[in-house]
Amino acid sequence: MSKIMTVDVLSSIKDAKPSEAVSKLFDVIKNAHATNNTINTNKTNAVSINSLRDDVVIESSETEKQIIKDNFPKQKKGYLVVSKVIEE
Amino acid sequence: MDSQIRSLHNKLVSKQISCTNLVKEKLALLKPNTHNTVNSLLDETAINLAKKVDEKIANGEPIGLLEGIPFGIKDVYMVEGTYTTASSTLLKNYKSAYTATAIKKLLDAGAIPLVKENCDSFGHGSSSENTIFGAVKNAKNPELVGGGSSGGSAVNVAKNFTVFSIGGDTGGSVRQPAGYNSIYGLKPTYGRISRYGLMAYASSTDCVGPIAKSIEDIRIVLNVMSGKDVKDQTTYASSKIEQNAILNAENIKTVGYFKNFVDSKAIDENIKKDFLSTIENIKAKGIEVKALDFFEADTLVSTYYTLAMAETASNLSRLDGTNYGNRIDADNLKESYSITRSENLSEETKRRIVGGNQVLSQGFSDEIYLKGLALRDQISQNFENDFNEVDIIISPVTPMAPPKIGDSLKDPLAMYLSDAYTVGFSLGQLPTLTVPNGTETGLQITAAKNNDELVLKFANFLKDIL
Repeated sequence: MSKIMTVDVLSSIKDAKPSEAVSKLFDVIKNAHATNNTINTNKTNAVSINSLRDDVVIESSETEKQIIKDNFPKQKKGYLVVSKVIEE
Repeated sequence: MDSQIRSLHNKLVSKQISCTNLVKEKLALLKPNTHNTVNSLLDETAINLAKKVDEKIANGEPIGLLEGIPFGIKDVYMVEGTYTTASSTLLKNYKSAYTATAIKKLLDAGAIPLVKENCDSFGHGSSSENTIFGAVKNAKNPELVGGGSSGGSAVNVAKNFTVFSIGGDTGGSVRQPAGYNSIYGLKPTYGRISRYGLMAYASSTDCVGPIAKSIEDIRIVLNVMSGKDVKDQTTYASSKIEQNAILNAENIKTVGYFKNFVDSKAIDENIKKDFLSTIENIKAKGIEVKALDFFEADTLVSTYYTLAMAETASNLSRLDGTNYGNRIDADNLKESYSITRSENLSEETKRRIVGGNQVLSQGFSDEIYLKGLALRDQISQNFENDFNEVDIIISPVTPMAPPKIGDSLKDPLAMYLSDAYTVGFSLGQLPTLTVPNGTETGLQITAAKNNDELVLKFANFLKDIL
C-alpha cells in the first residue's frame, strides 16, 4: 500500500498522536547495539504438528451463546444491529 | 508465615469453622472496598458454593485441600457469567462467556472465587491507578500506590481479604505489587500455566501468577493451575512440585546478581544497602556469590516496551465495539471504531496502542521492532550463559519504594523505567518469585527456564536466613 497512513488511522483512535515518552524508548532501541545474526531465530516457540489441537468444531453451550448475545451492543426486534458500512 | 490454605483446610475438616462463615467473613471485609481493590463481588455464587462444601463435611465426605478456600481473581480473567471489565470503560458491562483454564482448574479443585479485582486497565500500568474503579491503595500505607498492574490482587492478599489471588504478569505485574505490599508473588516459567481466558496484553510474555502469604500456598496453587492445555499452544507439561522437594537448598551452590542493577544511579540508597547486606548473609552460609554483567536498565525497559506495545496494539485491535463493548455509533463504520476506541480507552492504553502501531508500521519495523526482537534474543542468550555459571539469580524488585498515589501518572517515562528490574526476566520467560524479605520492596529470585522448583527452594532458604 503506497498511501501513507497516520497513527490515528492505523490505531483507529480519533486524534491519536505519537507520545514523547514512547519516542524516547524507541531512541534507545535505535541506538542500541544488536547483533543481526539472531534476528528471527524462532527456534523454541514453534509448536510441533503432533501437538496441534484437532480441527473440529466445538459447539458452544447455551449459556455461552446467550452471554455472547447479551454482550452485543445493540439489538432491534430480535436482530443484532451493526454500525453502518459505507463503501469507499 | 505458614500455609493459610493448610490451616483453613484443617479447621474446615475438624469443623472448627464453617465454610459459609469463612466466606461471609471475607466478603464482609471486601464489601466496604476500603482500598479500591474490588471491581465486582461474586457473593451469591461464593455463598452457594460454600454451603455445598459445608454439606459435604457434614455428610462425612472427604474434601480436597483447596475445597472451600476463598480466593480473588484479577479482573482480566474470564469467569463465565461474571463482569470482566479489565478496569476499562469499554468493557464496563462485558460478561465472560466462558472460564479461563487456570481459573477453571481452581474451581474444579473446589476453591471459591470471591471477587474480580481492580488492576491497571488491560494491565497497562505499574501502579493500579490507570483504572475506572479508583486507584488501589497500598496495604501498608493507603497514601501510597498498591503497585501494578495486579494491585487489587496483591492488596487483597496482604490485607487478608482473600487467602490467595490470581494476578497476571507481563512485565512485572505480579512481582512488583507483591513487593510493594510485602507478600509472595510468582511469575512462573512462560507456558507453565495456560493463558487461555486471560485477556491478552503482550502474548509472548503474559503469565498467570499466584499471589499469597506463604511459599507453601504459592506451591499448592501453582501445582493446581500448571499443565499443558490444547487451548494455549505455548503451554508445556510440567511435573508437580512436591512439598518436601523444596525444603532443602543444599544443592544450591552459586548465586548471582547483576552488578549494574546495584550500581545504578536510580536505586534508592536503603534498597541498595539492604540488598548488599542480603548478599553478605548468603555468603555467610557458604554459598558462592558472583557479580554478573547484564544489559543496561534503559535497554531492558525499551526492548520490553517496544515489543509489548507492538503486541498490545495487535491484541487490542479487536476492541472496536462491534460485537461487544460500549459502542458509540457514528456516521459510518470507520468513524464508529475510531470514536468508540477514542472515548472508551484510557490515555495510557491509547499511548501504548499508538506506540505499538508505530513500531509495526512500514519504515519503523526494521529499525525498531526487528531490532527489539534481536535484543530480546541477546538477553535470552545472556541468561542462558549466566545459568551455566550460577544456580540462582537474585535482584531487587524495584529501584524505589512505592510512590504516592497521583505521582506516577504525571510522568509515563519514569513509570516505564521503574520496571527496570522486572522486565528482563519477562523477556527471558524465566520463573521469578518476589519474596517479602531482603529490601523494603522484597527480592526477586530467578532460575533457569522450567526450574520453578529451584526458585521455591531458594525462597525457603532465604526465609530461614533473613
